[in-house]
Amino acid sequence: MRALGSLHARLAPRAHAWILGCAGVAIGLAVWTLMAHVLATGGGVINRLPTPARVLAELTRYASGDLWRDLLFSLRVFALGWAIGAASATIVGLVLGRVRWLGSVFIPIVEAIRPVSSIAWVPLSIVWFGFGLGGKVFLVALAVFLVVIVYAIDGSRRVSPALERTATMLGMNGWQRFRSLVLPGTLTEVLIGSRVALMAGWGTVIVAELVAADSGLGAHLISVEQSYDVPAVMAAMACFGITGFLMNALFVRVERRIMPWRHDSNEAGS
Amino acid sequence: MSWQALRHRVLLPLAGVLIVLAAWQATLLAYDLPVVVLPPPWLVAVTLVKLLGTAAFWRDVAVSVYEFAVGYVLGGVLGVAIGMLIGEWRGFRLAATPVVESLRFVVPFAWIPLTILWFGTSFTGKVVLVAYAVFFVMVVSTSRAIATVDPTLSRVGVALGMNRWRLAWAVHLRAAAPTLASAARAAAAIGWIAVVAAEYIGASAGLGLMITNAASSLATAVVIAGMVVIGLVGAGVSALIGWLARARLDYR
Repeated sequence: MRALGSLHARLAPRAHAWILGCAGVAIGLAVWTLMAHVLATGGGVINRLPTPARVLAELTRYASGDLWRDLLFSLRVFALGWAIGAASATIVGLVLGRVRWLGSVFIPIVEAIRPVSSIAWVPLSIVWFGFGLGGKVFLVALAVFLVVIVYAIDGSRRVSPALERTATMLGMNGWQRFRSLVLPGTLTEVLIGSRVALMAGWGTVIVAELVAADSGLGAHLISVEQSYDVPAVMAAMACFGITGFLMNALFVRVERRIMPWRHDSNEAGS
Repeated sequence: MSWQALRHRVLLPLAGVLIVLAAWQATLLAYDLPVVVLPPPWLVAVTLVKLLGTAAFWRDVAVSVYEFAVGYVLGGVLGVAIGMLIGEWRGFRLAATPVVESLRFVVPFAWIPLTILWFGTSFTGKVVLVAYAVFFVMVVSTSRAIATVDPTLSRVGVALGMNRWRLAWAVHLRAAAPTLASAARAAAAIGWIAVVAAEYIGASAGLGLMITNAASSLATAVVIAGMVVIGLVGAGVSALIGWLARARLDYR
């Protein structure tokens, strides 16, 4: 009986959260539906607000058709750019972080380029690469690079001097020290940076596909926008949101598995 | 300044800039690239100076900055207010979290087509977009900062006879202020780039429109000069907010 009581006590806050959370979502959907009905009869600018049900219907229609092709294209752009960006940032970060004079020469330049978001490079990338895959991969790689490089430089410098001295004393040569001290430290930071870069990279995919719209989710979004199909626009937005959410969740999980000691429940997403 | 510091802070960075410019110029000469693909660095500098002398350029800058500023203030105030509600009121937090979390992953850029359908290429559309971008950054960081305020501070407040509102306003918000200041800078960066991205797709004026127009007429030097300006304005806005925050928080 007591065991049951404590179980109840443990479950209660959870249940409470679930009930309130569901209530919040229900209220949100109800307000949305209500607004859609009110605005439908002459609500000024936002007179094309579809009900959630219509967006859902549109979403299932899209999911049974072209969604997978578009999504696959966007994800390919993202994965290629993300891998290239993270890998090059790791190598460049290690070199700039460990070789002091090279760091002094080039880190200021990296710092000068960083405030220019990869989004600002979109028109230039169109001039350079056109509307195809190459330009979009370049933009995503740039976005990811600019985030990860900071983590890579930081990680490569974070090895504690005491550890490094001990390693030298134990007779490790430069390469051994690099392999077993510097590299693991850098890679952990790079992994964290890669997750932080996730949303920057995904956002860049969206903008690149909206501007250079030839294929992918962004191109679909622009084409339904141009045909004034608001339910389809919202369904496409939901696809972007769901994909971003799933990628983030996957990464948090991987990170927790690989580095349980670095898990910080307070930082997630964006 | 010691020789060591001079070398690492001034001479080597300067050498870096020269190396990049030399590499840029060398690429042009080696591959014989046309100006359309990659203009030489001096041409970009000249173009930038020319741009600074035209009224149209300053109008574009003013339009973008104005759209950003209005959206930023709107989104920032709403975000901090809702974030405080979420942080202070447990029931509201539990109810709002799923809604906020699911909207948070629909990044602002995905809203651009919808804002164009609803508001056209007008000023309002950009303001809404920036406000949305800033709102989510501020809601998430405010609610977290409020939730992690040192409980001792709250107990002191209660012991001093503060009621809930007074506690939230005078203790929690102040304690969270440093976190909010850094969130405000991050929000400014996201908001600024959201304006630029929105202007790529639908606008009648602004820096984003300027560089997409330049790109489609293959005026690459103007594109690069515009990128420099976008970066400078972004860095300037961020520095301004950092400076304001430091001026207000100098008790630390």
